[in-house]
Amino acid sequence: MKPVMTFALMTLRNLLRRRTIWGISIVILLALFGLGQIPGYGISNEGRFILDFGLFGLEIGALLLAIGLAANIYPRDKEQKTVMPLIAVPLSRGQYLMGRFIGAAMVQAAAMLVGCIGLMVILLMNGLNIPVDLFPATCLLLVEGWFLLAVVFFFSFWTSPPLNAPLTVLLFILSQMSVSGFINILPGAQGFMRFLRLLLPHMDVFHIKDPIAHGVGIPGIYFLLAALYGLAYMAFMLSLALAVFRSRDLK
Amino acid sequence: MKYLKLVILLILISLTGCRIDYDIEEVATPEYLGEIHEHDNVHAETEDNHEHVTDETEVCPVCGDIHDQEHVNEHDSTTISASSRHVHDAGERNHGTEWFFNQPWAAKFIWGKMIRDSIILIILAVAILLASRFRLRKKR
Repeated sequence: MKPVMTFALMTLRNLLRRRTIWGISIVILLALFGLGQIPGYGISNEGRFILDFGLFGLEIGALLLAIGLAANIYPRDKEQKTVMPLIAVPLSRGQYLMGRFIGAAMVQAAAMLVGCIGLMVILLMNGLNIPVDLFPATCLLLVEGWFLLAVVFFFSFWTSPPLNAPLTVLLFILSQMSVSGFINILPGAQGFMRFLRLLLPHMDVFHIKDPIAHGVGIPGIYFLLAALYGLAYMAFMLSLALAVFRSRDLK
Repeated sequence: MKYLKLVILLILISLTGCRIDYDIEEVATPEYLGEIHEHDNVHAETEDNHEHVTDETEVCPVCGDIHDQEHVNEHDSTTISASSRHVHDAGERNHGTEWFFNQPWAAKFIWGKMIRDSIILIILAVAILLASRFRLRKKR
């Protein structure tokens, strides 16, 4: 575990030196700040809109961060030939993947935390209360972001970098659809479409912005169940990514 | 190892969670969905009653007095809101908020399925890891 954590911290430092992460974080904060500037026009429950759009912004931010952080890690290592000496002696392929993933996941967690604090500040600036479930809701969006990070790693081993982002976005959009909505894309092949949908997660599991915005309480156990679901999907995607990486000939 | 993979595959195929995906409406119990239908029927009945009363009598549904036709027309918009627009208690499931309560956090009956899916995904992840490690060793 020690080599993985050392490599993860190395990845963390590498990622923080890149401009991408800062650019995406600034865009998220600017979007949240812009949201706070929209006049209320005397509408009661203005806070609902700020919360709803704010959490939606954090979700899109998680997607952008996943792509921005992980899409270029492996292709760059391969191009600069740094992956070969790493895998040759100190690290196994599994440790390489886990180190890179944990490093990127830590950066994403920090960025989401900053986003959550930004949303809280905007709510306070508008004289609104901060809901109790805002932080757990951000944690669930973070789990969703980690799953997307695993997806980006999987695609980075499997496809070329220009294809990585569109495929991840496509998967993100399709995962938001209900089973019936997904089948309606190709109603002629119901069985096939149902099978395809089975492989994709139900992203609505991570969406609790509606109850939070309307002040409906969520049972505490649900957060644990949703986190377990997201982490299980993340583990599944990471195992697929590792299987592809192990089958790659790096010479 | 070959047999182990086969056994894992057979176990996974035999689990319904690996073959059947679902929408919340698809797997909802009749009692869960019945709440809405019963509620809708009650509303339909009350709306019918309401129309019946206003047709037979000339009593204004807003202020309760008997008025001439012009005055009734003045109240038309409020008459509509009184009969066809009905108010529910906040935070309760009804025909208008069905979409809201058909989300996973509210539909407790799918929480078990979420656990089942998580367990299946972890088993699959372990199976893929073992299979890929076996292939890598075989290659070497």
